[in-house]
Amino acid sequence: MSKHRVSRRQFLSYTLTGVGGFMAAGMLMPMVRFAIDPVLKAEAGGDFIATPLKIKDITAEPQRVDFTFEQKDAWYTSEVTNTAWVYKDEQDNIVALSPVCKHLGCTVGWASSEDHPDQFFCPCHFGRYTKDGTNVKGTPPLAPLDVYPIQEKDGLLYLGKAEPRTKEA
Amino acid sequence: MKWVSKDIETYLSAKEYVDTAVIPLYSVSFGNEMKQSASSAEFITLLTNYLERQFTGRLMLVPPYTYLKSDQYEDIMNGLKKWEEKIEKNEFKHIFYITSEIEWKNVEDELKGSLIWLPSLPLEYLNESQKMSMIESQVKQLLTLFTQKWHENL
Repeated sequence: MSKHRVSRRQFLSYTLTGVGGFMAAGMLMPMVRFAIDPVLKAEAGGDFIATPLKIKDITAEPQRVDFTFEQKDAWYTSEVTNTAWVYKDEQDNIVALSPVCKHLGCTVGWASSEDHPDQFFCPCHFGRYTKDGTNVKGTPPLAPLDVYPIQEKDGLLYLGKAEPRTKEA
Repeated sequence: MKWVSKDIETYLSAKEYVDTAVIPLYSVSFGNEMKQSASSAEFITLLTNYLERQFTGRLMLVPPYTYLKSDQYEDIMNGLKKWEEKIEKNEFKHIFYITSEIEWKNVEDELKGSLIWLPSLPLEYLNESQKMSMIESQVKQLLTLFTQKWHENL
């Protein structure tokens, strides 16, 4: 037996403090969690989607990259594949262009017209874009190609949602 | 453009640029041939959708002309001719039919539009990316066919 004897008064106060502490903690914990919630949030990597293209394989010549993600259309989930034209510009910046023609939405190809080997070409109405995506004057498109925001992760290229550019030709 | 209200709206505001209609032809049969019927319809659906994606701005993907395989040939043909007439009247210069039914090949001349026949590929055992590349390679060949046709009538 311990020499230090616990009196009834002490015993009660210990128990009360213990139980009270639990209750206080139970009330405070959720509050604290709410307060610091943004810190606890798992990093969701934004809406960036991985592509199979390695950063080091990107050259000055635009190349086609397909990337797949899940899309929800009402209650119908489907796998959607998007395409990007990716290359490095003179300043060594990676550029990822959307292949969707700004005219009526056909798919443009790089150098797919024999007459214009260094331009993006739309087969539908012969729209053309220069390498940086700027629409060529006199062809149907009225705006430059959309640009994908890019990210690098583990040596792979990640692409976000294509954004329109405001710069006019 | 697809047969959805949003695309039709675009179409109505840019009519002069969309001069091609694509009509998939589906045959429906029941009983023993049910599976074959479904798998070729699946193939044609995937293919025409991908084609539409490439040429969104110039072609209209019309809902498929669907008929019972057991029906009389004359009835099927007359039905399609009515479609053809309607579509022609609505300023579509080029009409393409896409099917995997070999029977259409024999009656190709009766139609004004161009008939594209493709043997149906069994896609059920392929995974998504294999399916994609298969459809893609098929469509690639069709693309030149379309651009040629467009060039003829420039």
